[in-house]
This record gives sequence, structure tokens and C-alpha cells, in this order.
Amino acid sequence: MKRRQGWLFFIIFLLTLSVYLLINYPLQLGLDLQGGSQLTLQIIKEEGNVTRDELEAVNSVIDKRVNNLGVSESNLQTLGGDQLILELPGEQNPLVASRVLGKTALLEFRTQIEGTSTDLKTLQLQRLGIKELIEQFSVAEKSKNDGNFLKVIQDDLKEIEQELNYSSTSNDLYGKLIEIKKYVDKEITNLFIKTDLSGKDLINAGRRQEQTNSNWEVLLTFSNSGGEKFAEITKSIAGTNQLLAIILDGESISEASVGNQFASTGITGGSATISGNFSAENARELEVQLKGGSLPLPIEIVETNTIGALLGSKNILKSLYAALSGLIFVGIFMIFNYRILGFVSVLSLVLYGFFNLALYSLIPVTLTLPGISGLILSIGMAVDANILIFERIREELYDGNTLTRSIDSGFQRANSSIVDGHITTLLSCFVLFLLGTNFVKGFAATLGIGVLISLFTSLNCSKTILRFFITYQSLREKNLYLPKNNFSN
Amino acid sequence: MKYNLQLIKNKRQIISFSTFLILLSLIGILYSTFNTSYKKPINLGMDFVGGNELRIERVCEEECSNLSPDSVLENLREISSNKNFINNIKLQFQNNNKLVSIRTPYLSIEESNNLITNLDNIIGPLNYESKDSRLIGPKLGKRLLTNCVTSLLVSLFAISLYLTIRFDKKYALFALLALFHDLLIVFGIFSWLGIILSVEVNSLFAVSLLTIAGYSVNDTVVIFDRIRENLKLNEEGYNETIQLSVNESFRRTTFTSITTLIPLLSIILFGSYSLFWFSLALSLGIIVGSYSSILLAPSLLLKD
Repeated sequence: MKRRQGWLFFIIFLLTLSVYLLINYPLQLGLDLQGGSQLTLQIIKEEGNVTRDELEAVNSVIDKRVNNLGVSESNLQTLGGDQLILELPGEQNPLVASRVLGKTALLEFRTQIEGTSTDLKTLQLQRLGIKELIEQFSVAEKSKNDGNFLKVIQDDLKEIEQELNYSSTSNDLYGKLIEIKKYVDKEITNLFIKTDLSGKDLINAGRRQEQTNSNWEVLLTFSNSGGEKFAEITKSIAGTNQLLAIILDGESISEASVGNQFASTGITGGSATISGNFSAENARELEVQLKGGSLPLPIEIVETNTIGALLGSKNILKSLYAALSGLIFVGIFMIFNYRILGFVSVLSLVLYGFFNLALYSLIPVTLTLPGISGLILSIGMAVDANILIFERIREELYDGNTLTRSIDSGFQRANSSIVDGHITTLLSCFVLFLLGTNFVKGFAATLGIGVLISLFTSLNCSKTILRFFITYQSLREKNLYLPKNNFSN
Repeated sequence: MKYNLQLIKNKRQIISFSTFLILLSLIGILYSTFNTSYKKPINLGMDFVGGNELRIERVCEEECSNLSPDSVLENLREISSNKNFINNIKLQFQNNNKLVSIRTPYLSIEESNNLITNLDNIIGPLNYESKDSRLIGPKLGKRLLTNCVTSLLVSLFAISLYLTIRFDKKYALFALLALFHDLLIVFGIFSWLGIILSVEVNSLFAVSLLTIAGYSVNDTVVIFDRIRENLKLNEEGYNETIQLSVNESFRRTTFTSITTLIPLLSIILFGSYSLFWFSLALSLGIIVGSYSSILLAPSLLLKD
């Protein structure tokens, strides 16, 4: 009896600890409960698997970019060796984040091949033309009177295609425009040759508004060696009609000449500006990308989930209703069928709830909708062990054994089948946790933890509470344990 | 109250009933594979094939005006650049016209934003705080599908291994048969739901199958344990002992199923819509699972 009292104090201690934990370390809510965006980024590699080092490298670049974006909270984690999951709580529109993160941001400095000036000029004009067509297209799209306007755009596009001697293969007009623009960009890039200066030689990037108009420019600061390389490159083309191109992900964002005055030393000082008609937003995106460095491997955003804050709080409320009503009805069912024993199992269920939640805040487990359903489902499984035990106790009582004896052997005899039975559920949870997506992991985690805790609460806690109850003479009546109409049997 | 299920007498009926259910499921699966637009054993949802799903509420003063999906689609077509994808769009109004839900093929975030802006112009204003948007690329979908199938196979293998170690061959075999019976029937029901109501399955369906597997075996293990225990006492004949054991565990098995069904029912009634089909699949699995643990698996053990 003394040992049982020890258990009673231990359980009360655990309960107090749980309440303390829950008050001081609130539960972490998943995005489907608090609102926000979640992006899954897939690393693209043509041949072979993504190595651990490559994953780390991509992770660190993305991490830097996210930090430079200035979002208040974020959570980045790797998944399955070649994916990253980025969570942005509270973010209702992940458009900017997706634009900034999705680009490789490979910055190159190239010099023009001699004798290509006329070619370049033609291509630059065509690029301007196609950019205008794209703008006109988006206006035409919104103004609803597409018919004539779109036809003009189509005709203009055909003209450019003839000049380029290239015909597009896309189905719709917008696709064609983009395709031609890409083709022109590629042709322009081909007129320049690579130098050994690249985005790797940057130590910082910034932005400022141009003084003459409302456009923005992006400032680049080179490392020492980068500054030297830049001086050398500019020196080599100063005063000639060869241009210096700054190329981002294969698209030239700026082509500029270097004045004759730099012919002896090149442009020194270790910095440069790109002024390519940037809007405030574009300049900021480029700044963030350059600060984070280029991605060692390209990535693709393969999944985006966005949940509004209002929907999130509705989901919390709904889950709370579901959990509480589940708990209450299971409680009624148990008390109706098992009387005092049922009441004991309700008490252990309440303990079970507290221990579970406390463990979530301790580990920590982020609560999501599937996670909550795992928890609610495990309520049913937690009483399973109690039912097994109570059925045994009933049988022993029918056989005419004393209450204390029946309780003891009930717990003892049910022990092995309870542990056995739960093993298969745990096996499933384990596999789900190893192979599942983030979404699924939440369910596996809460169900698995639930099954483990239920072994403790339904075996140990209910036994202790029951032992405590029967120290009171008035609670030892047999008909408190068996419904009367069944007793005659 | 003692239960008196006549297992020995009704062995043939039980086995015929199960065979009937399995056949019905197989017909559904075959029909779904060959005679539907998606040509798959089950209607795979967005998680597995990729796509864009959007749910958003309208802001209405009192009651939301009645709108026909067709006219909204017609308007959308007029202002969208990509006419092609408008043809593949599915649009529905729910909750007294308040909630709009849209399914399209895969869109980029930009395209999805354009769609929402266009929608706002037509049926707005929209409440962005109530937005629920999911975009899944087709590549990821395929990968998720492989993942789910592997998880299922791995855990079935693990469970079989556990059963063969835990019981002798005959018991393990019949417990496994009961397990496959349960999974096949739940799968078949969802094949039929896909054919009749175009219900789609997503990754949570795979999770429910895995959970059912764990749960159904749990039930069968408890009953088989009881049978083994009673056979050792060897008081009556083999068949009679099995029938007795089933009747002794009947209360336990039904009660456990009820206490597991109650919380699932509360998720179906009160929980978030995204958990509706998941909870339904689990509930069906638990019902079929208890049936096969109480009646089918022990009947298979009976000697003629």
C-alpha cells in the first residue's frame, strides 16, 4: 500500500508539472491553425542524388535570403534529402517570397565580343519591342476589349519573329511572348564572353533611389580580390566600343560602356551600380538575392499552402469542439458501462490529455490538424486498455472473487495483450513518421506519443486511482462496479 | 450478460458475406480502372496528381447573392489570358453561396494570385483572411504517391513479420487475411465513392489505411490471444473453444470500437472539413476491422 501512495504522489507531481509546462511554454501551432504560408522547395539535379553538402549549401543560401527578406518569423527545415520546407507564419501572400527564393541568382560579369556592336543594337531594340508588347498584353487582358488590341500585338510579334528568323512553339499568346523574350535574352548573352568575376566576389549589396527619376539602382560591393578583377576587366575594355554586361540567371540586366578615362587603371574602389530601370520592389528582391549569394543548384517551388488567419482560428475552435465532445461522450459511455471503474478511466483520460499536451510543449511537437486528429483518435485507443482490464475485473468478480483480488489479477492478466496490441499501431506510426510528409508526420507523432502515454495512464494511473478509491469503505460495494441487471448472471 | 454468437453454425454465411464484399470492392476497383475518366483504381486527388485548390469566402452584408458557376466561369474566361486552363476549372458555391471553392490544374503562385484578383473583380469582395489555397506541382504529386505506397508496403511487411514471430503460421496467415480483407473493402468503398460522388483520395487516405492496418491487427491479436489461452486449458473441443473465446472477447472488441468511433464521429460532425473523408475512412475501417476480428478471422480458424 505504501508503494501505491508513492505512485499517487508521483502522478500528482506529474500533473502539476504538466500544468506548469503548459502555462509557461505554450503549444506551438501549425500553419493550418494560426494562418500563414508554407512553401516546399525541391532541389533540381539532372544527374545523381543531391549530396548532404549540396543540401546544406542550398539550405544556407535560402536561410540568408529569408532573413534578408525581413519576415518576422520563419522556419526552414530540410525534408527527405532534397527538399526544403519553409514556413512563414502570418504570411497571407507568399508571392514575393516565392520570387526571391525561386531564382538561382547566378550573377556573371561578361565582356562583349569584338565586332558585334550592330548585332547587339538590333537585339536590344527587339528586346525593347517585346517588353512593350508584354506590357500592352497585360493591359489588354484587363480591359476586356481584347479582340482588336490582341490582334495588333499578335501582328507585331510576328514581325519580330520574322526579324529574328525564329518561330515560337507555345500555344497561347502570352506563352509566345515569354518564349521570344527568352530567345532574345539568350542571343544577347551569347554576344558576351565570361570573365572570372561573378556573384561569388560580392561581399554586400544594397539599393538606392536614383536622383534623376523614381527608378531604383542596386549597389554592389566587391571583396578585395573581386575589386581587383573588376578593375582589370574594366581596364581591358575602357574606351573601346565593347560593353560590360551584368547577367543574372542568363538574362542580361545591364549593358554599359566603360569610359576612356579608365583606360590606365580600370574602375577602382571595389564597387559598382546596376541601374536597369528597377522598381523599388525589384531592386529589393535583387538585393536580397545577391546578399544571400547564388544557389549552388537550381530549385523549384513544388508546393505552396496558404491559410488565412481567420480560417486558422476557426480550425482551432472546431478541433476543440471535436476533442471535447469526443472526450465527454467516451466518458459517458465508460461510466454508463463500468460505473466506478468508468469514472476511474475518465480520470485517467483527463490525466492522459494533460500529459500529452505537456509532452507536446516539451519536445516540442507542432500541433496541426492531422496532429489533433491523431490525438483525438488516440483518446479512443487509450480507453482500449482500460476496457480490456475492466472486462477481466468483471469476469473475476462474477467468479466470486473479492474486489481487491479481482482488481489485482485484472490488471495483471490484461497486461500482456495490451502491450502486444499496441505494438502494431506503434509500428504503423513509426513507418508513417519515417516516410511521411510533414503533414502526415504530425499525425504519426501525436498518435504514437498518445499510444505510449496511454500505456502509462491506463495501466499505472488507473490502477493507482482505483487503489486509492477502495481505501474508502463506502466505495467498495460490488454493485458500484457491476451494473445491477447483470449481477444475477 | 453472456453473448452467444453461433460461429460454428454460421461459418459458411460469414465467409460468403466477406467474399461478397471483396467481390464488390474488386468490381469497383476494376470499373474505376477501366471505365472512368481518370482510369485509376481509385480517384486520386490533388496531393497525388498536382493542381491548385482554392477556398475563399465572400464578404456579404446579410445573405450572399445567388450566382451560377457557369456565368462566373464565362466572366473568368473573358478576362483571363490562358483560355485553355479555364476549360479545366471546377467551381462550386457552398454554404449559401458564401464559400467559393475552385479546382484547377497546377498554377504558379503568380497565376493563382491573378485568378484570385479576377475572381475578386467578378464576385468580390472576398475575405482574404478566410483563404485556403494549396498549389501542388505534378512532380511532387508523383513523389507523394510513391511515398504513400512504399509506406503502406513497408508497414504491411513489418506487421506480417511481427505476426509470424508472435504466432504460429496458421494464426499469422489468418490474421493477415483478415487485415487485407479490411484494407481491400475500405479501398473498394472509396473506389465506389469516386465513381458515384467523385470523391478523391489524398495522402490522408493513405494514412487512414495505415492506421486501419495497425488497428485491425490489434483487435485480431487480442481475440487470438484469448483463443490460445483457452485452448491450453483444453476443457472443450477445438471449435467450441474458439466460439467461446470469441464470445468472451465480444464485449471488449465492440466496446473498444465504440470508444474509438465516438471521437471519430465528433471529428466528422464538428471538425474541420479537411478531416471529413479521413475520419470517414477510419470509421469504416474500424467497423470492418471489428467485424473481421470477431467473425471472420476466428471462423477461418474453425475446422470442418
